Amino acid sequence: MKKIKILLLVFALGFIGCERDDICAESTATTPQLIIEFYDASNPDDLKSVPRLTVYGEGLPNPNPPETEVDETIVFNTNTSAISLPLLIGNEGETTTSRFILEQDTNLRLDEDDTTVSNIDIIDLSYTSEFIYVSRACGYKSIFNNLELDIEAIDGTFWINNIEITETTIENENTVHVRILH
Amino acid sequence: MFVSCIRICVLLLLFSTIAYAQEEKETVNDTLVYKQKYGLRLGADLSKIARTFLDDNYTGFEIMGDYRLTKKIYLAGEIGNEERTIENEVLSNTTKGSYFKAGIDLNFYKNWLDMENMLYVGFRGGASTFSQTLNNYGIYNVNNQYWNQQFSVEDGTEFSGLTAIWLEILVGIKAQLFNNFYAGINVQLKGLISETAPDEYENLYIPGFNRTYDSGRIGGGFGFNISYLIPIFKKDKIVVQEKSTEE
Repeated sequence: MKKIKILLLVFALGFIGCERDDICAESTATTPQLIIEFYDASNPDDLKSVPRLTVYGEGLPNPNPPETEVDETIVFNTNTSAISLPLLIGNEGETTTSRFILEQDTNLRLDEDDTTVSNIDIIDLSYTSEFIYVSRACGYKSIFNNLELDIEAIDGTFWINNIEITETTIENENTVHVRILH
Repeated sequence: MFVSCIRICVLLLLFSTIAYAQEEKETVNDTLVYKQKYGLRLGADLSKIARTFLDDNYTGFEIMGDYRLTKKIYLAGEIGNEERTIENEVLSNTTKGSYFKAGIDLNFYKNWLDMENMLYVGFRGGASTFSQTLNNYGIYNVNNQYWNQQFSVEDGTEFSGLTAIWLEILVGIKAQLFNNFYAGINVQLKGLISETAPDEYENLYIPGFNRTYDSGRIGGGFGFNISYLIPIFKKDKIVVQEKSTEE
């Protein structure tokens, strides 16, 4: 009898506050980035690296333009044929814009020779956010609908030849959303 | 002739003593009769009441009852009401609702003498109606450092008219503390049969079922209750003890 009562007490104490902690696993697909691949303008099926590309969000790095690789540079002075861009999240259903600087031939800006310059194009991405439930540990993610894209050249010359949006909805990072021909 | 007569006499005497001895060693049944109370036992879950006072994110109570049908079998059930807020880094959700559970308890404990303790296995069917309010949530974005943006939505959204049905197996003990008062503890293993969940969202907590898990339809719980037996009638419990005497 006495043993049973002690057992009851131990059981009661043991169960108080027993709740599993949930952690959002890194492998869970949450808010996706925009995936861009660069193709050869004269041969649109072939990937073509952009020489000495630097990419960053408009107005983000300090100093601007960046002299070295910093947190805000998605790539810096690198030959690459694919980039992933983190998009700003806006209110659900409202049109939001993210702008990125794509600088080709960054080495020409960095070198001592003032007669050679890099070529900066700006891509202007507009879309609407949609929030989707993932799990109790991750909460919600945002996907992006109705993607539209504009390019601007602040120096008057475009190095980007053409842009194709292959997916107007950015749902995950498994596909290429935008093809840039150059 | 005389010798044979004596022999017969001796043999008869011998057999008679054997017969007499056998009769003396025969077993005797000794019966003891104990009065067993049958009736309705009503109680409340103390752990839920304690948690109501200790945990800001929980309010709830549960009333339990059982009715003894036979020596081993009890009809048993619980009704309750709970409000539980689950808060973590990414969301805050409040579930409110009521539930009832009904089934049987089978006592496996062989009581000594007139004791009426229970070591039991119970089976229940449970049902709950509830509502969920998503108080706020964040947008999970591993790259949120880039634009230095922590996006969260504060508007509460209520999802009402939610239901769930589950089955439950429980193992527990009930011990008589003093006359007609019992204390009990049990652990419950639950399996969700069906639920209506909000579109594009899920039930994070179901009153009576407790929290749900991403991994499946299994849930768990425990109870710690104090109950009072209202005796309705008494039945005799007959204990037969076998004694062998050698006198």
